[in-house]
Amino acid sequence: MKQSFLIRNPHILVFMGLLAVFTIAVTLMSAYAGSDVISTSFVKTLGKTLCLCLIAIAMDLVWGYCGILSLGHFAFFGIGGYMVGMWLMYERTKEIVATSMAAEALPPTPEEVREGIGTQIFGVVGGAEIPWVWYFADFLSIQLALVVLVPGLLALIFGWLAFRSRVTGVYLSILTQAMTLALSLYLFQNDSGLRGNNGLSGLQNIPGLTDVGQDTISIWFFWASAVALALGYLMAVFFTQGKFGSVIRGIRDDEARVRFLGYNVEGYKLVVFTGTAVIAGIAGALYYPQAGIINPAEIAPIASIYLAVWVAIGGRGRIYGAVIGAAFVSLLSSWFTGGGAPDISLGVYTIQWTDWWLVLLGFSFVAVTLFAPKGIGGLFDLINPAHKGEKS
Amino acid sequence: MKRAGIWAAFLWLCLSGAVFAQDLQNVLQTHQQAVEKASRKTIDAVLDDLAAANAPGTQTFIQEWAGKNVWMRKEDGLFFYVSAQADKSYELIDLASGETVGVAAEKKLLKQLKPNSGVRGVLASFLVQFQLSDPDPERRIAALQAIERDADETHYGPLQASVENEPDAELKARKERLVRVLAVQFEQDETKRIDAILSFKGDLGVDARAALNPILATDLVVLSALQDPSENVAQSLSSRFTGSDMPDGVTREQAIALVQKAGLLGPIPDNDAIKSALIANMQDDMVGGFAKQDLDQQENRYQAYDALAASGLVDKRISDYDVSETLAYSNLALVYREPSSVVTDTARETLASINDAVGLNQALDLGLDALSLASIFFLAAIGLAITFGVMGVINMAHGEFIMMGAYTGYVVQQLIPNYTVSLIVAIPLAFAVTFAAGVALERLVIRWLYNRPLETLLATFGVSIALQQIAKNIFGTQARPLTSPGWLDGAWVLNDVVSISYIRIAIFALGLIFFLLLLFILNKTRLGLEVRAVTQNPRMASAMGINPDKINMLTFGLGSGIAGIAGVAIGLFAKVTSELGSDYIVQSFMTIVVGGVGNIWGALLGAGMIGTLQKGIEWLNPSNTLAAQTYMILFIILFIQIRPRGIIALKGRAAGD
Amino acid sequence: MSTLLEVSGVSVSFDGFKAINNLSFQIGDAEMRAIIGPNGAGKTTFMDIVTGKTKPDEGRVIWGERNISLLGLSESRIAQEGVGRKFQRPTVFEAQSVRENLSMALKNKRGPFDVLMYRRNAEARARLEDIAEQVGLSDQLERMSGELSHGQKQWLEIGMLLAQEPRLLLVDEPAAGMTPEEREHTTDILVEAAKTRAVVVVEHDMEFVRRLNCKVTVLHEGSVLAEGSIDHVTSNQEVIDVYLGR
Repeated sequence: MKQSFLIRNPHILVFMGLLAVFTIAVTLMSAYAGSDVISTSFVKTLGKTLCLCLIAIAMDLVWGYCGILSLGHFAFFGIGGYMVGMWLMYERTKEIVATSMAAEALPPTPEEVREGIGTQIFGVVGGAEIPWVWYFADFLSIQLALVVLVPGLLALIFGWLAFRSRVTGVYLSILTQAMTLALSLYLFQNDSGLRGNNGLSGLQNIPGLTDVGQDTISIWFFWASAVALALGYLMAVFFTQGKFGSVIRGIRDDEARVRFLGYNVEGYKLVVFTGTAVIAGIAGALYYPQAGIINPAEIAPIASIYLAVWVAIGGRGRIYGAVIGAAFVSLLSSWFTGGGAPDISLGVYTIQWTDWWLVLLGFSFVAVTLFAPKGIGGLFDLINPAHKGEKS
Repeated sequence: MKRAGIWAAFLWLCLSGAVFAQDLQNVLQTHQQAVEKASRKTIDAVLDDLAAANAPGTQTFIQEWAGKNVWMRKEDGLFFYVSAQADKSYELIDLASGETVGVAAEKKLLKQLKPNSGVRGVLASFLVQFQLSDPDPERRIAALQAIERDADETHYGPLQASVENEPDAELKARKERLVRVLAVQFEQDETKRIDAILSFKGDLGVDARAALNPILATDLVVLSALQDPSENVAQSLSSRFTGSDMPDGVTREQAIALVQKAGLLGPIPDNDAIKSALIANMQDDMVGGFAKQDLDQQENRYQAYDALAASGLVDKRISDYDVSETLAYSNLALVYREPSSVVTDTARETLASINDAVGLNQALDLGLDALSLASIFFLAAIGLAITFGVMGVINMAHGEFIMMGAYTGYVVQQLIPNYTVSLIVAIPLAFAVTFAAGVALERLVIRWLYNRPLETLLATFGVSIALQQIAKNIFGTQARPLTSPGWLDGAWVLNDVVSISYIRIAIFALGLIFFLLLLFILNKTRLGLEVRAVTQNPRMASAMGINPDKINMLTFGLGSGIAGIAGVAIGLFAKVTSELGSDYIVQSFMTIVVGGVGNIWGALLGAGMIGTLQKGIEWLNPSNTLAAQTYMILFIILFIQIRPRGIIALKGRAAGD
Repeated sequence: MSTLLEVSGVSVSFDGFKAINNLSFQIGDAEMRAIIGPNGAGKTTFMDIVTGKTKPDEGRVIWGERNISLLGLSESRIAQEGVGRKFQRPTVFEAQSVRENLSMALKNKRGPFDVLMYRRNAEARARLEDIAEQVGLSDQLERMSGELSHGQKQWLEIGMLLAQEPRLLLVDEPAAGMTPEEREHTTDILVEAAKTRAVVVVEHDMEFVRRLNCKVTVLHEGSVLAEGSIDHVTSNQEVIDVYLGR
């Protein structure tokens, strides 16, 4: 069975091969392997890009296959980041506090350590108490479970409410956007317990591994991201193949018809919505330790919109399309906004790409929607006409 | 107050100086001794004469006298203002004319008048009386304002005295009210004071509340065992301290400090004190039978400390329970500073009635606030009600059209400095600009995507991102002001609680005009008929000679144009930034979704509901507008559970799926 | 012959317009029934009510031996109970192959996790090919259904309906847009199906109805105007009035 699965999906082998080559190449060219071709910060950028590819896969599943244009998946991504960030920040602060208290005349009590941590973390928002949401911050295993559970539960509740009342199409998009807005506004408050607009920082430092340099840590996360992406890819293919894939594509194209076939459309949507939210949470949990900082602005609705843009440009309805889109657009974006692109002088006015990149992106997005609805992935159909239409 | 007084005196001097026969210096010289060595006993006679003479410069003189700025020439006993010179000589300045009339070579030739505080008090109240009865109403108003701002006991008598002869009816009423306000605070006769307090029942004035509240000020005290009957006890707090139900503003720490001060409770060593005591008594890394490294548990620290306490080295620990017990039996009470219980009772009663009235008016104010917020949402959403609601086209760049309208207003204001004219120009221009933008968007993008709503949503997202960045590139990231004309400044003040700014009234009116206009256009005109025809059945409509392309273009232009006008209106009270539109887009869509799609009435109801809701939540949790928005969105998600198609829902097959 | 579906006293109105007015209707196991009526008679709304798409304002819809009320159930539950529906316009999943379409319709567990873990087996494959044979699409299995002709799409949809193995088939204008041969084939399929289950056909075309050779119910203004054999109803004066206009 496994064999035929691979034969039916040759792109899996191609993708896995390319990913493996890429991962090994980056590792060999990094500071970790003693080379200086790729800087540590660029390794992190590439690792982050892999995480973005993973969430793009989730977005493609929910939108490209199931037809739910969710503008909330970046919120789940952010929640994943927050969950792992809480542990990172708490443990890291605990180390710092313990070090600074070691010199005192009496060894510190656990209460004193806790108080020190509270002051250290929540001083910026005018508090010293550790809020209840940090209850499990001391336990890595629980926080890791929360990376999956919190986005999953939120998606489950939201999805249940939304699908149950048969909110579909653009209404659902707007509703998910509202949910994202509500969440980011909530996190912006100081009394949300997550440091308001300061967010969580210092996440690149791994507690207990102060001796290990960022060169090494960046490679670890890069590998973890690559493995997660590979697993995500396999899972996405598994979900979209066979009858389940048929049903969710059916829901995308004509959900009433699927209902009359006896399928509980709401249940399917809920499974896909929740499952992809979990994937998004995992992607976020891998992304933010590489970014080092997370704040509510990351969760703002616009981020989810960009996610949709990536998937659309890459080509929705095909898994590799999402990966291509996310990688292509996010890397291009950092090239343009990072000042990598040369300015264009028009005599009276000089186009600086740091200012005009978003304009270019916006309009190219319109162009893609109008003229190339299949996105970059559509190019593969030109190369391989036999493939045509199968996954559109 | 002082500055106002001087200014008033100066004015008076200029206007009427020469007419008076009596010279200020002469009057003073008749009381030379009493002025030089002023005392409370002798000063009244001087002031009576000064008042009778009403010579030019009197008021300034009183002020300067009280301010210790009047000097006497020892040689002849004449009074002057002085000005110190660089050579340590003093220029002498005439009291009436303000001109330099001589020089004193040395300081010792002069004597500075230093009236004592009692005299200064009399002078101050005399000055007030003087000003309150001044023939110039402007200065009487200035004096009243000064008292209103910062009243004290000395104002009460003069103010009362000045009421009777006040010629101006309006000022007289104002004085009478102020007399009542002062009476609440300073009247000695308790009956009169109570009458004054009662006279404010249900009054909404801030001044009344400001006068009444201090009467109910309390102090936390430990009452002596034999309760002094003169104490006006507000609330006995005994037994409160075992539980947690503390009255407002009283903390356990305060109570403990008080009880400790009264000697009923010894020092309570807290964890920090215990830690310091342990460190202080540490010998060879051992204290109280514990090794240093074992003191990393609070429980061990307690035991070590208790061992120290048992040997008498430190104070004993006192358990929270014991502290609570002591507090409970300490006869703690909140006692009014005001001794008379009749007064406090009356004040409490009056304040209660005021609070009722204030509550009622606050509700009204909240209602008006909600209405104005609703009109803003309505304005922002009504363009969408047409493009999304009627045409079924979702335009994520709608917010950016609002922004374009606001920037159009800003640019027009840069070109036309007159705010009124620029507003009159900006409104049609904003409509024209966004109408054109809307038509362009419809022609270039949207018409290729009819019946593909998600694609439309995405493409217009792209447009939205691009437009926002273009605006940022042109106008920068900082907020641009869009100033409203003078006649829109200020507010319509109903009373001290209820007021609504003119600009909000204008926005409300604008919203109403648009609502009626659109209702008219859609229901009563040929265009409206054709729009509805195209919306419901484009093929049939085109078969009947309607050009659906043209109608779609016009409808979309109309919706976008209205967004432009909304932008000008919103820009008048919010900052114009490139993100202006995205701040409103989600709310606007919510308005449409909640209200019900396909219907202008729906937009109206949706805006009303969201506006009321947001204000209501803000009222429940006033410190936190972010939370209010969060809860509002949650509410909308739940609301859609109950009415998935909004308040006004189309039923049946026409509604489609 | 026991009663499979009983609709009694059902009314529904949209914005004041009574689409169904006190309608009562019964059908037994293994029975063929044709419903005819002019436009707006409530034929489609009747189907909407039975399949759960529309909730009636009043009345009862009772199903099966255990007398379950269908009114409280969702569309998918009703479909699982054994009510299959074919729409007026052929609605197949055009972006998927004929095989995928049929496979989705095959009677199987419908839960998301069952479907996720579903593996094709020989039995299902045989059943699928059997149905494809029946509707004449055996050599089209791997084609995208969007590429099929109109008539083939109609058959595919009928095939999907059969694959569901419903106890009651609701078929809305199955012969619309078909060539005479195709119509004949369709008739055969329906008649064959009616041997083992109840089939309700909504049709305009009297010729087609006559060929079905079954009991006919005439709907008018949301209620039953006449019922009986085709000859019986076509000779009914009221029916003639309704069809030809008074």
